[in-house]
Amino acid sequence: MFESPTLQTLTDYNIWIALPAIALAFGTMFLLVIDVFLPANRKHWTPILALVGIGISFLINLFTYNPEQTSTFGGMFVADAFTGFLNIVVLITAFISVLLSTDYLRRTETNHGEYYILLLLSATGAMFMVGANDLIVIFIGLELLSIPLYILSAFRVTYTDDRDATFVLKSEESGMKYFILGAFSSAFLVYGSALLFGATGTTNLREIFAAVGPILESSAENSGALLLLIGAALSLVGLGFKIAAVPFHMWTPDVYEGAPTPITAYMSVAAKVGGFAALFRLMIVGLSGLTLDAGVDPAAWQGTIQVIAAVTLILGNFVALSQTNIKRMLAYSSIAHAGYILMAVAAVGSAGLVPDIANTAAQAGLVYLLAYAFTNLGAFAVVLALENNDGTGTELSDFNGLYNSRPMLALAMALFMFSLTGIPLTAGFMGKWLVFSAAVQAGLIPLTIIGVLTSVISAFYYVRVIVNMFLLTEDEGSPAVGETAPVRYAVYASMAGVLIVGIAVPLVTNLVNMVSLV
Amino acid sequence: MIQFDFSTIAFFVFAVLTLGGALGVVTNRNLFRGTIWLMVSLFGVAGLYVLLSAPFLAAVQVLVYIGAIAILFTFAVMLTRSLTRLNVRYTRLWPSALGAVLLFAMLVIGVIWPVFGGNELYNQPISDVVRTTTDLGVALVSGEGYVLPFEVASILLTGAMIGAIVIARDADEEEMEQ
Amino acid sequence: MVPLSWYLIVSAALFSIGVFGVLSRRNGVAVLMGIELMLNAVNINLVAFWRYNTTIASVTEPVPSELSGMVFAAFMFVVAAAEVAVGLAIIITVYRNWRSVIPEETDTLRG
Repeated sequence: MFESPTLQTLTDYNIWIALPAIALAFGTMFLLVIDVFLPANRKHWTPILALVGIGISFLINLFTYNPEQTSTFGGMFVADAFTGFLNIVVLITAFISVLLSTDYLRRTETNHGEYYILLLLSATGAMFMVGANDLIVIFIGLELLSIPLYILSAFRVTYTDDRDATFVLKSEESGMKYFILGAFSSAFLVYGSALLFGATGTTNLREIFAAVGPILESSAENSGALLLLIGAALSLVGLGFKIAAVPFHMWTPDVYEGAPTPITAYMSVAAKVGGFAALFRLMIVGLSGLTLDAGVDPAAWQGTIQVIAAVTLILGNFVALSQTNIKRMLAYSSIAHAGYILMAVAAVGSAGLVPDIANTAAQAGLVYLLAYAFTNLGAFAVVLALENNDGTGTELSDFNGLYNSRPMLALAMALFMFSLTGIPLTAGFMGKWLVFSAAVQAGLIPLTIIGVLTSVISAFYYVRVIVNMFLLTEDEGSPAVGETAPVRYAVYASMAGVLIVGIAVPLVTNLVNMVSLV
Repeated sequence: MIQFDFSTIAFFVFAVLTLGGALGVVTNRNLFRGTIWLMVSLFGVAGLYVLLSAPFLAAVQVLVYIGAIAILFTFAVMLTRSLTRLNVRYTRLWPSALGAVLLFAMLVIGVIWPVFGGNELYNQPISDVVRTTTDLGVALVSGEGYVLPFEVASILLTGAMIGAIVIARDADEEEMEQ
Repeated sequence: MVPLSWYLIVSAALFSIGVFGVLSRRNGVAVLMGIELMLNAVNINLVAFWRYNTTIASVTEPVPSELSGMVFAAFMFVVAAAEVAVGLAIIITVYRNWRSVIPEETDTLRG
């Protein structure tokens, strides 16, 4: 009945295709042991080893990047270009976040090895999630992504005796809010998954896809479609929290403001990557056939996602206009960007009508995520450089005259702001261009118009930062206490990423053109 | 119609325990009593597992949920004991109640009843073939089964353990000196 | 035997009570109890679907997907345990520093 695994059976199961994620998990466990035995004056090796682990996983991922869809673990984990591409995004995010963390932890006196281990565990969860092809793995991966993040956002809690320090309290509060809303939302996600399982009798996304057709056809159980719809809706509520889509966004500004800045940078990207990966897979692989009248109607969930995307775009961009704290402004901006990626998800809904739209839209969403990752990480790196040890220095006015004191940082921030707006020759433009054209191809003209208009509005608050930095020359500019060598490397890496994605377009499109989910 | 045999009566008993306990949890002003109600509710759920031919899950429910999680709640309530008795029982009472009732109505009237209510197919399990605990165990570790989520779950538990310790411990001596 | 829909109704009721608990309570521990009720509701659903599902029956040799419901429920235990451990740790720490576990009274952050 059951044989103990030999090397041969391991090869039969083809587990090598999950190697990038497995390698990172293994490296993390290794680091956990190493960190305990490192003497106190050698603790600076922990982040270096963490970077090495991420690097090894990155290399393995590049070597195993393959366009063919191979699956393992009984079809639960799929390695295709989609997985490979998002693995790259996750690993870059983790790498830059570790770079940002080293000196930040030291100067805020929260330097503990467990920080890096939790960060890597969260990245591991994200990597398992992007390859997940099964509701169970999606759920477990999401929890592995989230639970370390709850702790990390409260990480500035215990290590101070100064109980009046506001930033410590903010960090605690942020961890608690994030935890409660995160746990609440994953309960919704999993209730939705249970209903999908009840309707189809399986948790595998491909088998769900196969089961959707017969359920819709059989008249005796015609109302089974209802079960699928409500299951999809509840899953959408759960994932909507993770990607910070309106109306499930209310935790975002508080948590982003309160969490330690490197963690804010990390979770603004990683949580979105995980959430959108699950959403794309669920909607394309699992439920793209869920339409009321095949060949005539788009997928039944398309309307809902369109409305959510539109509301997210409008609310995110308009509220961002009135923010005075840069971390809160970037939080609302990240809500708005979730709206743009949701446009790509909505475009997938026309899969039954427009040929090949599912792949085009998924590719657009992936490029957008990569562009967003570089840009947002870079922007948070600059914010971190300006942040004082007590958590102040993140108001918009702190950027006044930055060009005088730190011209390089000011130029970098300007580039990131242009990229977030979507100015040509930056990564943000590529992402927006692809997403908008996918939406137009899918026939979602009103949504595209909202997307373009809100992009124009977003220019106001992004450009305001640039104006503060360059034109308010009578100010001395921030001393940028956090601008140390690793932070500078992180800024340069992000700048390079933004420019490469924006200018060397074929490089990215060649990678992403291999992505095919259907 | 439904005959009132043993399993039906048992179902009603456990359903009442589950829902009654749950109502006790959300209405009780005293948090310590709330945890006792939570145990009652969790016990009712364990009973439902037995009726559904999942004795292993019922045992795990008693051991993990009642034996560990509910006890953890008890500890938490004791450690925060000045708050055990809440001054404000609810905020947003009516909107939340309305939301919960709407959700329930949507689930039952909108989905469960039309799909399963009138459908004879779902009145009985198709057969008495039930998987044993051995099947579950093999499935959890076999390569064609659920070994991936099993391993990821073990990493998850490690992470949660590290995290809980990191966040809850006091500043240790070395930091005190600083 | 009891029809499947009865189990589902109990589960939906438990889930709704849990949602009510989360939305209406201000105390962190009480909110977490509400979340536990919701997770239990999911578990009832999973096990009931597993038991009644037409795709399960009549086969004698087990294939993995037949066990999905029960396995999923087993993983829910793991996740619930992890969430409670981490959640209570955060709540107790917040309490220690604030003497309060009421989410809305911790208000250095603007809402």
